[in-house]
Amino acid sequence: MRKQFKETVMALSEDDDKIILIFGDVSVYLFNDFKNRYPDRFYNMGICENTLISAAAGLSSQGFSPFVHTITPFITERSFEQIKLDMCYNQFGGNIVSTGASFDYAWDGASHHCYTDLSILRLLPGMEVIQPGSRKELDALIRSNYNNGKTTYFRLSDHPHCIDLPVEFGKGVVIKDKSAPLTVITAGPILENVLKACEGIDVNLLYFHTIKPIDKELIMQYRGTNILVIHDAFGLFEAVCGVPGLSVTYHGLPDEFCSWYGNVPDIRKQMRLDVESIRKIIITNS
Amino acid sequence: MKNIKTEKRGEILSANDTVNTFYRDGILSACRNVRKNILRISKISGHGHIPTCFSVVEILYSIYSSIRHDPLNSQWEERDIFILSKGHAALAHYCVLAEFGYFNVKKVELFGSFMSDFGCHADHFKIPGIEASTGSLGHGIGLAVGMALALRIKKTDRSVVTLIGDGESNEGSVWEAVLVAESLKLGNLTIIYDNNMSHSRGLQIHNPVEHFSGFGCHVVEVNGHDVNSLAAEVKNQGTTVKVIVANTKKGCGCGTLINNQYEWHRRSPNDEEYVKLMKELDEEAI
Repeated sequence: MRKQFKETVMALSEDDDKIILIFGDVSVYLFNDFKNRYPDRFYNMGICENTLISAAAGLSSQGFSPFVHTITPFITERSFEQIKLDMCYNQFGGNIVSTGASFDYAWDGASHHCYTDLSILRLLPGMEVIQPGSRKELDALIRSNYNNGKTTYFRLSDHPHCIDLPVEFGKGVVIKDKSAPLTVITAGPILENVLKACEGIDVNLLYFHTIKPIDKELIMQYRGTNILVIHDAFGLFEAVCGVPGLSVTYHGLPDEFCSWYGNVPDIRKQMRLDVESIRKIIITNS
Repeated sequence: MKNIKTEKRGEILSANDTVNTFYRDGILSACRNVRKNILRISKISGHGHIPTCFSVVEILYSIYSSIRHDPLNSQWEERDIFILSKGHAALAHYCVLAEFGYFNVKKVELFGSFMSDFGCHADHFKIPGIEASTGSLGHGIGLAVGMALALRIKKTDRSVVTLIGDGESNEGSVWEAVLVAESLKLGNLTIIYDNNMSHSRGLQIHNPVEHFSGFGCHVVEVNGHDVNSLAAEVKNQGTTVKVIVANTKKGCGCGTLINNQYEWHRRSPNDEEYVKLMKELDEEAI
């Protein structure tokens, strides 16, 4: 997905000289082409996430469209106040593009995991929160939102799904509508596991790439069903619960740090987010 | 730098009977008038950090005497930018902006009251001359770095000045921003460090000149209550970020405040104290 990020930004930059990249010593080699072509628009500012956000806000205040890019926990949790005040409160909008969530750096342990990003950023007034599940979604959503004046969060993944779905900012997608009493809701790359787990089961399946604003109208259509949110992060469940009158259950992360190392499939299995475990949960809730 | 709109100031001042002290009696009287307004408004509103505000009066006055700006057109495209990073000195900032004719100081009397434009920390959407909303310490300097970089990318000769506090400089984000600013050789950025010994109660910063020099900045040390010296240094920029260590006294102008700065950190005077402090302002030579 990082390659798609680069391809999309490269393409946009041909016609938009207001795009500035502020990187935290991550993906620098990948963006060599950009750096060589636009040397005054690429800044590897180093490992100082607070200042990456503040400086990007300063650039935005002068009419630029900054993309801040580094590892998820450090740019979202560590720099939460800079995002809140310098970008959102001041309305110096920009794009924050993170890599590594939720457990893409499984082997690095809890310091490098991030599953709160979507949930904390959706609390900030005016913030847009996007979890693209596929390269196509990332491309479309960057293009539609990168210079709209808002602060927009894009959470990249090293494990995107390859399911071809319609993409429109703020709109959820109905993947399965079986008029079933159970509606599964999910977001991001974990869709691949969820979709496989739903095979042969009478269940409705809704998918979201936009966590904020959540597509409340779509969710409302399934208000009469039991809703099961399956997600490998926090944020989607809370957003769904913002729709009144729902009966919602969450299957996702436990209340403990993930200290098992390994890789993403290992972690998903441990957390019962592998296909087989998800299928059991769905059958139990059906 | 040159204040190319200076010729307008007489016109502005004559239109506002509270702001003509500069032309009547010069800089000293203008700064005394600013202090009296700070004290008066703090008394009326019950808000304000009076000692902190008094330490920065000459600094703020020298900045607006030096940078390019237009009180009649605060969004003038060729203006220089000033960011008050130590945002709790907002009352001093308002009173200096009023002194320069941005608005009538009577408006500031609503300081901190419900639905007032003049909060205890400034909102850049509400007040002409405020370029960013600050308050949480260690943010404004990062914004200023981004703004200075933006102006350099645009190849303009506009400059950015930011005022940080010594207490504020306990924040790690301050030093991140300094490191980035020097790394980028932002010669169009001036950082003024209000060395009013706020830090003395907590984490102490001994010899700030050495610290900033160690980061590679061009550092000068001046009397922070000498407008002419300050203004000369603000105007004189170099090839990298410049730091002016301005040695000031918290509560400068009133012996009572200087000698009891902790007690007065965040309180307003009662009737008796108000008379006494006003008398001190009239009697003390700064």
